[in-house]
Amino acid sequence: MESIKLKKITSVWIIAVLTLFVASIVLGILMRLNQGGVLHQAPITFYSNMTIHGITMIGIWFVAGMAGINYLMERYVKTSYTANLIALILTVSGVLMLWAVTLIGKFHTAWTFLYPLPLRVMWAQWATPTFLVAMSILATGWLIWGISMMTQVLKVYSIPQVFAWQHFKKDPAVKTPPFILISMITLVGVVTCLLVAVLLMALYFAEYFSKGNFVNDALLMKNLTYFFGHTIANEMLYLGLAVIYELFSEVGGKPKWKTTWYVALAWNFTLIFILTAFFHHLYMDFVQPEGFQIAGQIASYLASLPAAAVTVFSVWVAVYRVKIKWTLTNLLFFVGVAGWVIGGFGAVIDATISNNIVLHNTQWVPAHFHTYNILGNVLFSLGFFYWFSIQFTDKRVSEKLSRLILSLLIIGGAGFLLAFYIGGADSIPRRFSNYPAEFTTARPLANIGAVFATVYLIPILILFYNISKRCLKILFSSS
Amino acid sequence: MFKNIVLLLLIFGFCNFADAQTTSTALKEETNIYERVYDAPLQVVGQESATFDELYAQRPVILALIFTRCTGICNPFLVKLKESLQFKDGDDSFRVMVLSFDPRDNLSDMHRLAQNLGLEENEQWAFAITDSISELTQSVGFDPVWDSARRQFDHDALLVGINREGYITKKLIGLRERGDLDLLTGSINNVFVPTYRLQNQNMLFSCFNYDPVTGKNKPGLGLIFLALPAVLTASLLISISILVRRSRR
Amino acid sequence: MQQSSILLLFLFLMGIALIVFIYIFMSSKRADQGMSNPLKKRFWFFLILTIIMGIFASVTIPKSPYFAFADKTPAKVIHVAAMQFSFFLSEKAIDRDKPSGQKIELPANEVIEFRVTSFDVNHGFAIYDKSNRLITQTQAMPGYVNRLRYKFKEPGEYNILCLEYCGVAHQLMRSSFIVK
Repeated sequence: MESIKLKKITSVWIIAVLTLFVASIVLGILMRLNQGGVLHQAPITFYSNMTIHGITMIGIWFVAGMAGINYLMERYVKTSYTANLIALILTVSGVLMLWAVTLIGKFHTAWTFLYPLPLRVMWAQWATPTFLVAMSILATGWLIWGISMMTQVLKVYSIPQVFAWQHFKKDPAVKTPPFILISMITLVGVVTCLLVAVLLMALYFAEYFSKGNFVNDALLMKNLTYFFGHTIANEMLYLGLAVIYELFSEVGGKPKWKTTWYVALAWNFTLIFILTAFFHHLYMDFVQPEGFQIAGQIASYLASLPAAAVTVFSVWVAVYRVKIKWTLTNLLFFVGVAGWVIGGFGAVIDATISNNIVLHNTQWVPAHFHTYNILGNVLFSLGFFYWFSIQFTDKRVSEKLSRLILSLLIIGGAGFLLAFYIGGADSIPRRFSNYPAEFTTARPLANIGAVFATVYLIPILILFYNISKRCLKILFSSS
Repeated sequence: MFKNIVLLLLIFGFCNFADAQTTSTALKEETNIYERVYDAPLQVVGQESATFDELYAQRPVILALIFTRCTGICNPFLVKLKESLQFKDGDDSFRVMVLSFDPRDNLSDMHRLAQNLGLEENEQWAFAITDSISELTQSVGFDPVWDSARRQFDHDALLVGINREGYITKKLIGLRERGDLDLLTGSINNVFVPTYRLQNQNMLFSCFNYDPVTGKNKPGLGLIFLALPAVLTASLLISISILVRRSRR
Repeated sequence: MQQSSILLLFLFLMGIALIVFIYIFMSSKRADQGMSNPLKKRFWFFLILTIIMGIFASVTIPKSPYFAFADKTPAKVIHVAAMQFSFFLSEKAIDRDKPSGQKIELPANEVIEFRVTSFDVNHGFAIYDKSNRLITQTQAMPGYVNRLRYKFKEPGEYNILCLEYCGVAHQLMRSSFIVK
């Protein structure tokens, strides 16, 4: 009975995520077309769209990851349906409020809502408090979900076990499944950055209601903003990786991966360094002491390197000269890992202070994070969605269609991203609704980006139709 | 949610402390930076006459502009300065040049002032007058106004930091604390700090407070806020683990 | 140009990654026993990556901009105040209550210090050269002043753009100065 409920709620998550994904891609394409001069939106429309595009994308791929690990976690521990449901209800309410705030209220602070922008009202009066409330609702819902999952895992595994510390010794008696290790490491990060969000919202509310008596410190607020924003964007990728550790070998018809000491070590590293990597968002704030800046660069390297090296190598070993049953699921995973690595190169280059001074807030930034989202994390989650949806039906996507989907995803994604990377190297700023005339390459690049993004949208629509149809069937079936 | 409320209450409690100061002096302090100070001929109490550039070439200079007949700020200003610099006794990285901007002052007036302050024998301090008052005051952006009714000057309590090359690196206006003077002595010795704070800012939740003596940043209350969520998560993890273990038993 | 070498480096790394991933994918078609000695290879893989990253970090960290020209006395200090949606540049300090700016001319080949702050929200202060390359930048944060030092070698007009999203006219927020 319980597992049916879990199946259904996971279906709802998937349909919601895919619907919002399509809508946000469309907003993204409109933005690129506006930058390319094909469309002529008012800047306020552009920036409102940009704001909701960003918030939605971060939100949906975070909940996609959470829904994914929640579903798979049921294999090891009993998870709480109530927490899942509360998270769903609060997420839906929060997201609806945010869409209203941006599209009706014209709230346009960008998704990073860098202090004190939200308090300088340039939109409907109600938009700022509603935005703050919506963010608090989302943070609360996700906190409940995250803490509930943590609790359930801790009922079965002790603290040293969830972090796989016993694997540092030879032949541990209890083996921690990699899925539990990575989920737990990620959940700790998730809960931390959501607590940061709560603190941030409290400080915003304090200033908002004090009517000028209380003023926040801009540096603290910026640190908190990126502690939340960077970390959640980073953790959602690791949620996707937890799914890969669980499913990659299984889908290929191979024995499950095991935790070893270096896997444990690498992910424990990640746990620590991921919480300080956000300092790289403040490289150009000279007010942050140099020690923190350098710590930021080193933490950025160390947060990505061990986890990436261990994961990538595991995937290579699993594939190299091994007869694998390739399906759309593990192909999406495989391509996603490649995309993640390439995006990671872009990220490491940008997280280097001496490069950052000429790349900071140019299009290099959206270039790299779009890389490990649209060709990384999204593919991880899509792989999971597809795997989930075909579990309960016989009909699969034909090999021909799979090939088409993947090719379009890669071609569309690569073209879209290259336009951003070249733009970044051309010093074209990010977050400009229209470009000054002296950026001669900006407009053509934006239009090329829009065209390729449309190519990317096609396979997404196919998958949306394909997966949602099955999920709807699961939702309305009686068993 | 409960945590949220507690935090809110806490913050409202802090609001009372958060006050704003005026910007005007901060603004004046930003004038004439990296401009060269006028190379005035000086008559120094107890020493041979010298030009200004000979003096700052030996040691960076903190220039204090006063007049001996002042019934207002000059005396408390110098007393405070002496007090604040006491702990730097014997430090030869700077010299305090107390210079009169009143043409009525002569060397013996300045000598008396030095005696009154008990600084006559102090190596760090020099008391001087000059014939080129207006050129000098202009070059450091100092504009005393003569009030003929009171027979007094209206003026700022101004300290000008001048480095070994004769450039103005920093100015301070008003009676200032030790920390600000440290910034001043740092800057005339060409210690570069990539940032500084504007005076009107609420400093309550600042993350870092620069300490000019050590040249390092001291953690502020804001930094605790940055660390707090991680600490909360860790304690959450441990308490959950203890609770579920207990309930299982 | 730094940006071009960055792009080349990235494309080079991307090329390597693509070749390796494609090669490994193809190898699964002519499958045999899998990778021999994966443990040992993993160790080497990890070691090499760490060394490369370590070298990269130790080469780049000393080039961090925070203390550029720290031991020099700048020839000029330019005060910069950013406000939605314009920059004020002045050789004098800028009054928050009645901000005003002036046309700025700077000497070439001399160290210039910009003291950058904001009177409202966070802004960016990015300097673009004649060929429209981003050459240096800092952030303008309310309540704080960031000191950016730079030596302009080429005479000509330099543009300033705001690179931190600051609201509806962010894309129009700009200024310029001349180097002679």
